[in-house]
Amino acid sequence: MYIIKNAVKSITRNKLRNVLLGIIVFVIAVSACVALSIREAADVAKKDALEGLTITAQISFDRMSAMEQMAKPEEASGQEETGDEQTTPEEPQGGFDRGGFDFDILQGSSLSLDEYLTYTEAQQEGDSYYYSGAFSLDATGDLLPYGTEEEDATEAPDEGNASSINDRRGGMENGQMGDPQAMGGRGGKRFQVNEGDFSVTGYSSYDAMLGMFDENGSYSVTEGEIFDEDSEALDCIISSELALYNDLEVGDTIVLCNPECEEETYSLKVTGIYTNETSSSQENNRFAMNDPANNIYISYKAAEAILSASEAAANTTTDSDGEETSVVLSDTLAFTYTFANVDHYNTFAERVYDLGLSEEYRVSSEDVAAFENSITPLETLSGAAFWFFVIVLAVGAVILVTLNIFNLRERKYEVGVLTAIGMKKSKVAVQFIFELFIVTFAAIILGAGVGAAASVPVTNALLADQIEKTQQSQETTNERFGFKDGRGEAPAGDIGGDPNAGEKGSGGRFDRSGTAQNYVNSVSTATNIHVILQLICVGILLTVISGLAALISIMRYEPLKILSDRT
Amino acid sequence: MSLLKLEHVSYQYDSASPVVLKDIDFEFDSGKIYAIVGKSGAGKTTLLSILSSLAAPTEGTILLNGEDITKTDKYKFRSRYVGVIFQSFNLLPHLTALENVILSMNISGKKFDRKEKEMAMELLKKVGLSEEEAHRRVLKLSGGQQQRVAIARALSYDPGIILADEPTGNLDVDTQQEIIGIFRMLAKEGKCVILVTHSPEVAKSADQIYELKKQ
Repeated sequence: MYIIKNAVKSITRNKLRNVLLGIIVFVIAVSACVALSIREAADVAKKDALEGLTITAQISFDRMSAMEQMAKPEEASGQEETGDEQTTPEEPQGGFDRGGFDFDILQGSSLSLDEYLTYTEAQQEGDSYYYSGAFSLDATGDLLPYGTEEEDATEAPDEGNASSINDRRGGMENGQMGDPQAMGGRGGKRFQVNEGDFSVTGYSSYDAMLGMFDENGSYSVTEGEIFDEDSEALDCIISSELALYNDLEVGDTIVLCNPECEEETYSLKVTGIYTNETSSSQENNRFAMNDPANNIYISYKAAEAILSASEAAANTTTDSDGEETSVVLSDTLAFTYTFANVDHYNTFAERVYDLGLSEEYRVSSEDVAAFENSITPLETLSGAAFWFFVIVLAVGAVILVTLNIFNLRERKYEVGVLTAIGMKKSKVAVQFIFELFIVTFAAIILGAGVGAAASVPVTNALLADQIEKTQQSQETTNERFGFKDGRGEAPAGDIGGDPNAGEKGSGGRFDRSGTAQNYVNSVSTATNIHVILQLICVGILLTVISGLAALISIMRYEPLKILSDRT
Repeated sequence: MSLLKLEHVSYQYDSASPVVLKDIDFEFDSGKIYAIVGKSGAGKTTLLSILSSLAAPTEGTILLNGEDITKTDKYKFRSRYVGVIFQSFNLLPHLTALENVILSMNISGKKFDRKEKEMAMELLKKVGLSEEEAHRRVLKLSGGQQQRVAIARALSYDPGIILADEPTGNLDVDTQQEIIGIFRMLAKEGKCVILVTHSPEVAKSADQIYELKKQ
């Protein structure tokens, strides 16, 4: 007890020395608090953003890999065969043989629904999936696709709209189907299907529709109700524009046909009419089916019923080259896996190959990639803060050790007297270290208070600066490419300790444009209990390091020598 | 059996240095004043350091009630069994006279019947300091007053042996007499008082004188 009393007396006695020591520790504490708070804010922001993030992923075929794989067997056979039969002087040496490229490989690369479903076994509890199939149908009778006049509609199938699925397009252009590379047709046979007036999409579940709703603007069914997701009945919802254009109401039936076969018709009952804010702002599309207003939504089971009926009614013709062509309707499948968290996604991305997925396919998530991009400035800042913290700590420790050594030299006589009258050296050391603890912790408490108050504005200011630098870099790139449409601008996003951050800003969903990046640009909280605990550890570390110098010096002192030197 | 006994004690700082003390055999008993005299460099202060276990003898043994003190805890020995009054007092200047005494009591770890502050004040009064002087920082006290504080500190944990190095060295004649009077009083109380001095006046007050000769 007397050691504590002595320590306190000693602190009050040596005010100047301890104030100096306190100021140094205070500066270290403020700097450390800000640095640690930045790191903590980054971690919290990351965690909150991840919690609010709906992670979706697709399996897609790696076309580049396939093209490279195709080149290899030829190279290999070229080496094995010594004759010139396989190589003609016109063929480019070492380049990609475009003439010899079999696009059927890409056609056949699409995974079937059964395969997609097999890989759901790699998912975990809380994960889910949904899928949709899209195909096109033509209008019949008086029904007109929105944005076309009567002549357009009749001409449409014969003019520019015609386009075969096997024309190497990855998928539909309006993006409603998600990642084009993730789409798969019912490949294997060569089908002849023209692009029709309407895009008909069948969804496996309401979740699948929600995924589409989230991605493509604000959809809502304003009249009637949505079809039954589990029903095979040909119920559909149509856009308000289409309904108004054709004077359609809930309960009406629309008759659509196979774009290649007008006799193959399907009657769809309108159960609901939806509005889509995005569709109003769309530019006129060249193809009617690409206009969101001409999107018709049905259940996947209903879509399957249509496709099965089409397959059953299909006519197959053989051309002069002996190639079979069918006018059967074929859908483009989009399968999306959803995950409860990033760990589940990462596990899935590994496990799926154990379930037989070929290495030519890759698992990717735009959400995770966009999220990682969004926190780039914060992560950069966090990394810089870490090194700043290390430097502050190292410099601080050196200053404190030096200061302590000088202090001890001043107090050498005191050590000599105390040990001469019987105080053990270890107790003297404990007293000195205790003094350091009191000063250090008082300064750290003050420093933590100031640091906590300063950390949020400082973090946000530094973050803004970091984002500006990132944007400038992006703008420079845009300028070099001649972009003048504002690509690369960063909308605001607010993520921090607020658990509702995802609702406020970019916490839950990110811009998918591929160019504009939604950066995390502010934090709402920075200093929390973790930072305080870390600061306490810093205090203990600094005290131990500087106290160690005291301990070593005291243990080396001999009272007789100290007192005789003084005498 | 003597309270404190030196048997063939020799001392040299290191093997290259000359021998300071050689084959010393002294005995000290309770209730007496001893004076260790000798010329400068004879090893008086070194002997006092050995007696207070601030230095260990190169050869020989020091027995306290028959027990070799070089084999016991030297801190415990210094803080409980022997009270040392240094020539330059060695008080802590930032503390008051009273605090210096209380600190010494605390270091000893002894349990006292009464409050330490009360006992310390009593001791200071006993050696001739007023209450006001007891609350002064020692730097603001005169040499004689500091000497009294040093004596009070040495007595604070009631040791059986009092060691004093030139206790009257810096004092005027009147104060010298007062201090010697205090030592007499302590001897009467049963303490063994060992004075290291070159003052004949102080030596005269001793019951027994040991003379050290320069080696």
